[in-house]
Amino acid sequence: MKIPSIKFKLPKIKIYGIDVVKNSLFFTFSLILTLIIIAFVIAPSIKTFKYAKAQYFSTQQEFEKVDNEYKKIFNAINTLKNKNQKILNALKRKFDKKNFILFAKNYMKIENIKELNSSTYKEKFIKTPYLITAIIKSPKNFYDFVDNIKNYKNIIRVYFPIDFEKENEEINLTFKIECYNIKGKK
Amino acid sequence: MYSFTKPIKKPYFKEDTKLWLVFIFISTFLYVTFSLFLLIKAYFYSKNTNDLAKEEITLKEKIIKLQKEKENILLQKELYENITVKNSVIKDSVKNLLNLVPDPITLNKFLFSKNKLIIYGITPTKDVYNLLMLPPLESIFQSTKTEFIQLSNGWFKFKSINTLKSENENTFN
Repeated sequence: MKIPSIKFKLPKIKIYGIDVVKNSLFFTFSLILTLIIIAFVIAPSIKTFKYAKAQYFSTQQEFEKVDNEYKKIFNAINTLKNKNQKILNALKRKFDKKNFILFAKNYMKIENIKELNSSTYKEKFIKTPYLITAIIKSPKNFYDFVDNIKNYKNIIRVYFPIDFEKENEEINLTFKIECYNIKGKK
Repeated sequence: MYSFTKPIKKPYFKEDTKLWLVFIFISTFLYVTFSLFLLIKAYFYSKNTNDLAKEEITLKEKIIKLQKEKENILLQKELYENITVKNSVIKDSVKNLLNLVPDPITLNKFLFSKNKLIIYGITPTKDVYNLLMLPPLESIFQSTKTEFIQLSNGWFKFKSINTLKSENENTFN
């Protein structure tokens, strides 16, 4: 069977020498091509771009929120640190017997300081007790000493036993102090 | 046959066809370039998003650390304040005890421990001690025991042992 040969030839319609049919076909082709590119290339790209942009701005907003919170806490801690610098330093400082004797000189004459066993206090601190024997002229010296111990460069607690024994015009005083340090930074 | 004009090569495309092809090529190129531009922008946006997310995680970790540090500072401050109060309480305890002692009675020695107070002193008579010294001691301590030894001058040497109710009710701690 012989396949009939189809001979197709575009009709040529020319207006002022311009091939109207060919140009119309090219126009239609370029329009369809544009639509296809928009549908399958540009539209998905715009979608991806918009999604990425939205994600970025939402993350940025969240980041700024966290950053502000961080700055707020950071400033608050700095203020807190500055306000309590003396306490923080005191808890890091090692107890110095000689310096303590010098501090107590205004109130009493310390004859002996005996270090006792240290123990952990509230998990984060180390408590080191010292047994002190001293001589005072009147109980007022002891009161003044206790009043002013908060200004000492260590955190010191005056604790029991507190023994007073009168001897001539003086009083023999035995008492315990506890020096507190932050754990690991003694 | 001889021709006076030279043969001109027939162009593959006519002028208007060329124009259309160039137009289609350029427009397709521009569309693809625009898409690529958007994709590259999107890539940088998502890269920055990831960076920000990582920074955010780091900041959150830092915030947790700072909060722990803050708690730590507050704990240290609280310790200092507690100790200051406790020192003041101890001072007042000793002061109050010495203020309890009436004029006729002289204290020689006192041993102040966590739950116990032992007082050694001299009183002119037992009644003076029992009237002036004993009642305030009994109001503070649960048990009060006193021993007297008469001296050659008629006065009495006394030893008073005072014990608190229990460790939990210790007023001096």
